[in-house]
Amino acid sequence: MESFYKVPFLVLECPNLKLKRPTWLHMPSAMFIYALVIGSYFLVTGGIIYDVIVEPPSIGSTTDERGNSKPVAFMPYRVNGQYIMEGLASSFLFTLGGLGFVILDQTNKPSMPKLNRILMLCVGFVAILVSFFMCRVFMRMKLP
Amino acid sequence: MVDTGVKTDIRSAMWKPGGWQSLLTFIILALAWIVGFSSRLFAVIRFESIIHEFDPWFNYRSTHYMVVNGFYNFLNWFDDRAWYPLGRIVGGTVYPGLMLTSGTIHWFLSILNIPVHIRDICVFLAPIFSGLTALSVFLFTREIWNSGAGLFAACFIAIVPGYISRSVAGSYDNEGIAIFALMFTYFLWIKSVKTGSLFWSMLTAASYFYMVSAWGGYVFIINLIPLHVFTLLIMGRYSRRIYIAYSTFYIVGLLMSMQVPFVGFNPITTSEHMASAGVFALINAYAILKYVQSFLTKAEFRYFFFLAATGAAGVIFLTVVGLTWAGIIHPWSGRFYSLWDTGYAKIHIPIIASVSEHQPTTWVSFFFDLHILICAFPVGVWYCIKHVNDERVFVVLYAIFASYFAGVMVRLMLTLTPIVCVLAAIAFSKTFEAYLKDETPKSSTKESGDSLENKNDKLYDKVGKTKKVKEEKPKDQEGVGMNIKSVIVIALLMILMLFAVHCTWVTSSAYSSPSIVLASYNQDGSRTILDDFREAYYWLRQNTHEKARVMSWWDYGYQIAGMGNRTTLVDNNTWNNSHIALVGKAMSSNETSAYKIMRMLDVDYVLVIFGGVIGYSGDDINKFLWMVRIAEGEHPKEIRESDYFTPQGEFRVDSAGSQTLLNCLMYKLSYFRFGELQLDLRSPAGFDRTRGVEIGNKNFKLTHLEEAYTTEHWLVRIYRVLDLENRIQLTSPNKPIPKSKRKSHRRTGKKKIGHIKNKPKVVKGKKSKSKVK
Repeated sequence: MESFYKVPFLVLECPNLKLKRPTWLHMPSAMFIYALVIGSYFLVTGGIIYDVIVEPPSIGSTTDERGNSKPVAFMPYRVNGQYIMEGLASSFLFTLGGLGFVILDQTNKPSMPKLNRILMLCVGFVAILVSFFMCRVFMRMKLP
Repeated sequence: MVDTGVKTDIRSAMWKPGGWQSLLTFIILALAWIVGFSSRLFAVIRFESIIHEFDPWFNYRSTHYMVVNGFYNFLNWFDDRAWYPLGRIVGGTVYPGLMLTSGTIHWFLSILNIPVHIRDICVFLAPIFSGLTALSVFLFTREIWNSGAGLFAACFIAIVPGYISRSVAGSYDNEGIAIFALMFTYFLWIKSVKTGSLFWSMLTAASYFYMVSAWGGYVFIINLIPLHVFTLLIMGRYSRRIYIAYSTFYIVGLLMSMQVPFVGFNPITTSEHMASAGVFALINAYAILKYVQSFLTKAEFRYFFFLAATGAAGVIFLTVVGLTWAGIIHPWSGRFYSLWDTGYAKIHIPIIASVSEHQPTTWVSFFFDLHILICAFPVGVWYCIKHVNDERVFVVLYAIFASYFAGVMVRLMLTLTPIVCVLAAIAFSKTFEAYLKDETPKSSTKESGDSLENKNDKLYDKVGKTKKVKEEKPKDQEGVGMNIKSVIVIALLMILMLFAVHCTWVTSSAYSSPSIVLASYNQDGSRTILDDFREAYYWLRQNTHEKARVMSWWDYGYQIAGMGNRTTLVDNNTWNNSHIALVGKAMSSNETSAYKIMRMLDVDYVLVIFGGVIGYSGDDINKFLWMVRIAEGEHPKEIRESDYFTPQGEFRVDSAGSQTLLNCLMYKLSYFRFGELQLDLRSPAGFDRTRGVEIGNKNFKLTHLEEAYTTEHWLVRIYRVLDLENRIQLTSPNKPIPKSKRKSHRRTGKKKIGHIKNKPKVVKGKKSKSKVK
């Protein structure tokens, strides 16, 4: 085996290289991964792929009876169409709801002052409720 | 169920005096099954026990064929009723799992002397399998987390709209059983990774075989499991268990999947399966390295490792590339390719992009199909990442990929739904665990599913208690106060209740229409049934020749074959793009050239769907642009999409529309005689309700076709293709007919050799007028 390795080095001289693993290359931490996941989740649920393929405007506009054009944030009465901004807004709400659950979980850490705990609890709770009910409102706008 | 209960009981034997936990588990799962089954029956109760939509009609037809003629005849079935001049080898181009499943049930019932028509089995197959899906999701989640979360997940999957959309009664499609097979395979895979036993991985392979025979989505499994193994290798979590599980699964699963006729040699020749082969090679290389490592010194091993790793990776890569280049491995098929390059289908394969369920997903669909679970989903991912182990890596990978795919295609929401249920169940169960603790359940007035989940929380919170609940409880827990906690719990239960309400509402309003029977509601709330489709198909069945060929757009091919029992040119199995393009070309060219194509294809009848009278939006005029696009893909010289738009780039059927559009066959067939029809007093005659315009071209006659039948609400219109006319009658009498007759007669009689074509002839007693022209 050893002689087999030697064959190329009969003609070649080994350069004195010092290869190090690049410092940035290490196992990413769990929370970093999670941040990536939730970032992409935010984009996907916001319909970013739809935006790329169909290329809708960021917000729509409509003309009222006097002929003025008004901006419209939601593409009404269409389930399979959207504007870019409405998608982002609602995926923001989805993510907010998710974070609300996480915060609710965090309040149960033993080492937390009482005031903080109550504050966190309120924040998480409100986040869940707000996102949930806002999503319902948004959906009502979209449905015929 | 009983033995699962026993197992958990052993774990918590000190807490539980009896088998309460198993009893509750059993009851909850049974209830989930019943609820899931009954909420899928809206369509049956409102309409009748009928097969829905398009693809289910083909599945029903072939199931029927199989039950009547036996399995082997089914495998050898050559259907000359489809794709008219070509025919279709059904046995070799179908996933037979669905037909086999219902055929087996039918056979079993008939052994017990329970006479059930095969149609009823087909109708109720998907709702029954939804219960099995709930069961397998329960098992899966119990392996991932604990049985409390499992019960949540089972209840979620039983009613979540994303899954109901494909499994209502009557929607007799592959997905109905495939989701069960998918989740069951994943459960077994997790089990075999956990135990590393040969038994479980063999079961995984067997379940995978069932999945392969049932649905093309098996590719998801054969890519996700290798990805799981690969990620575990990268994370340094290699173990003997994984090696045993994967190599067994791969080899046995590969061999078994090749037994399905439609799949055949695909698993070793197509790119979709190459990842699994590569990972198989990799894990073996890794295992060898591990083995060699055991008797090499560290320094030696490092050299060896370097050489072997680069060598192996290079060899695998080059092999795959080389084989692909040599044509032994087929490149990715368009359908899969469009998952990665999202613009691909739009540009290259209009036939894929034309299907509405292949459209990219908007945010509403996510919320509509998953509701609150979409919020709880990332939380479950968070818990899984926080407390990571071998099998939770799998869940995270599944979550990431499924959500990406669901974003690309509305249809793949179906594969996302189970994992969303699992992860949301984990999130809810963790939250309830933290906030319910010791108290008795507060609200028992919820609807049955919720209250049972609620009771169950009390039980499983003991299982997870070991981690952190215990430490914090004595000192600070009372600080937040029972009241606040109970408020939160009640609010969460309310949300879950709203979720249940939403699911029922969506199921009843959006997903329970058979789409071959339409219902409209009058102002006083009474209901009118529009049964035009079946009317037309029965007309075809009764009044046309048995061998008559019916041309329609491919959406209706299966229905014509299933209900009308007539030969079709194209159908929903869109395997031959050029044939479809030919039909599209006929539809989009003018009558004369369409007639040529129709003569060429031997068409007897043409069937179009027209919704202008009742305002039905899924009709052929709205689909027309896709016909043009598909035809343009194959015949770019004759058909150009831009011809069908106005100069402003609009697609309109009123008088401002483009002339090409107003004279094409589809337009004429849809609007023939429509100009005479005045629907109500406020609108002019020929007012199209779907498009909301008065049509542009009202008075026209058909020369090569005649109207054969139009249903009550004009929804389906059938035209007969006339035979070739007698030779064209001359309008000006400059060429008397008897003369030409005699001429031809004389020529054949005399057989002149040196005949000059336009030589003026002088015939006695006749004026030689014909030469004037």
